[in-house]
Amino acid sequence: MKAALIGAGAIAKQHLACLQTLPGVELAAVCDLSPATAEAAAERYGVRSWFTDHRVMLEKARPDVVHVATPPTAHFRPALDSLDAGAHVIVEKPATPAFEQLETLVRRANESGRCFVEDYNYLFNPAPQEILRRIESGEFGAVTHVEAFICLDILGPGGFADPNSPHPALKLSGGAIADFLPHLASLAHLFVGACRSAETVWTKRKPSVLPYDEFRALVNAERGTAVLGFSASSQPDAFWLRVYGERMQAAANLWETRLTFDGPRNVPKPLRPFFSGLEEGKTIRRAALATLLRKFKGPGSYEGLWDLLARTYRALGEGSAPPVTANQVLEINRMVEALKPKEQRA
Amino acid sequence: MRALVTGANGFLGRHVVNALLARGVEVRALVRPAAGVDTLGWSPSVDVFRADLRSSRDLGDAFKGVDVALHLAAVVSGGEDAQFAGTVAGTERLLDAMAASACRRIVLCSTFSVYDFSSTRGVLDEDSPLHKTPDVYARDGYTIAKWWQERVTRRFAEEHGWDLTVLRPGFIWGRDHGYMAALGQQFGRHHLVIGPMTRMPMTHVENCADVFALAATDPRARGRTLNVVDGPGERIWTYLSDYMRGSGERGLRVPVPYWLAISAVRLAYATVFRRATKVPSILIPRRLESRLKPLRFENRRLRETIGWTPPLDYEQCLARTYGPELPAVVECDDRGRERALLKLSDDQALRA
Repeated sequence: MKAALIGAGAIAKQHLACLQTLPGVELAAVCDLSPATAEAAAERYGVRSWFTDHRVMLEKARPDVVHVATPPTAHFRPALDSLDAGAHVIVEKPATPAFEQLETLVRRANESGRCFVEDYNYLFNPAPQEILRRIESGEFGAVTHVEAFICLDILGPGGFADPNSPHPALKLSGGAIADFLPHLASLAHLFVGACRSAETVWTKRKPSVLPYDEFRALVNAERGTAVLGFSASSQPDAFWLRVYGERMQAAANLWETRLTFDGPRNVPKPLRPFFSGLEEGKTIRRAALATLLRKFKGPGSYEGLWDLLARTYRALGEGSAPPVTANQVLEINRMVEALKPKEQRA
Repeated sequence: MRALVTGANGFLGRHVVNALLARGVEVRALVRPAAGVDTLGWSPSVDVFRADLRSSRDLGDAFKGVDVALHLAAVVSGGEDAQFAGTVAGTERLLDAMAASACRRIVLCSTFSVYDFSSTRGVLDEDSPLHKTPDVYARDGYTIAKWWQERVTRRFAEEHGWDLTVLRPGFIWGRDHGYMAALGQQFGRHHLVIGPMTRMPMTHVENCADVFALAATDPRARGRTLNVVDGPGERIWTYLSDYMRGSGERGLRVPVPYWLAISAVRLAYATVFRRATKVPSILIPRRLESRLKPLRFENRRLRETIGWTPPLDYEQCLARTYGPELPAVVECDDRGRERALLKLSDDQALRA
């Protein structure tokens, strides 16, 4: 299967490094507006050819799958052209700044019988997958509520708040935080389903070029509720996921390997907190070691992306449904739309 | 003559501006939009041009009336991708604008990091081997970006027939930048000194700036690649002593022979760190070598090509780095050109 990538910036490395390891996948082409960036990516990852115009690349390389990793406001055209060229498309999140563009892409994919996958990498990290496994086994009980909260300092120099060179994400409704909404929405969707309604609070705590640096939302979803949030001020950096079931509760930091469960125990009720605490402490110590060792091998917190890509290529090879379906992409993006600041919705 | 200086408010750039003024060159200083220049003490004659090489659309205007470009801008912080995008893609944008202008002369600030220290024995000079692809991608983000920046600039120069001078400074030091990676590894206020008797390829920022100004104005520099070091360099132990004395830092210095350090790191790398994604540079053999390998360094070609000798000796450099701050003085010569003079303290003047 021939793979090509458009947009050889930061996240592209994870895609290319992963594709190098997948059996039966040939890295056929890479494209970037910067010739040096495209050529460097090709040299580094053994990609057969590089281009600066994605249309020329599609014509000459004829890829089976195209990864679109340009800035989010520049996803639509290369994704549409790739679908028109007969390729499956894996697009980085957020797929498009406007929901109508996403609908166009999904419609085009369905018409041409191609897959359209948005990167919801955190769904495939070990922690959400383990929670999902316990839910499916019945051990966890039905999920009533989920919380996903990102604490990340995006106000530092050189990043989203760079006063010298506006970050492309600032063009999104909600600014830099909008870049993280698909992560939050995809996790909420995984555990409590499609969005029915949402109440949001968008605020700004510190002076910067960002329109907002704090975000909270309460989502009423099909199978339960979700509280989602982003804080640029709360430290340390963390990505907390808490899932509340009828029999168990789970807590994970998706940027580490920490995952703890609390549930029923075969001990007298007054002793349950004591034994729960002991077990939680043991789990956290093990996770601390695992988080440290993880730095010495593999993709770190991008392991979910690697798993998503492996599953996607396997499905494409077998002709089965991809791990992220077009319908799922639409539902998650409907939730993202509901989360956007009201006055700026596209 | 008018010169465009990119990265003009950076550690080296601000001194290059003064050195150019001292040679009677008009300066257009390219700085980022939000950069502060008021505290730099530049002459009012400096034409400040605000743009960001990563995103500005009007870079062509920066080259209007420019005879020579001194390209110093590079992103030296942030992740590997931010450094590549800022340094390499930024250079592409700058040189695209230069190609559309009448300017045909460029001086590039490269670095010793482009040399493959692992393959070099004895003396490191301009003929020493450079990194090759794809091995270069095993290096740190700074090295990858600077290696590509030089590659891109050479391609543009060849394609457009420009006069290119590539200057490759060693470790640049000066006020507020007294600590150098070549000093080993710092743990809090304590220092692991690897190869304490090794001499460092160092150039004081004001000496280095003088080379850039000379290379921009001297036709003998055209088409040349020159390493920039002030001389054979001080021993790590000696300079670290001066650094601690000058900065007032207190801490232990633990000397470790270089052969022992590199052997331990090679063993650890082969057994544990090979697939690691986040490991300190010093634990990766090739990166350790580029910082600390005991080689000899010299500036023979620099001296022979453009007749340069460092204006400041080591003692003067120490005084200007750790002593009271002495602003550069700009005055007019008899033809009304502005000249920036290195102001020496009374003590330095007596010794001079």
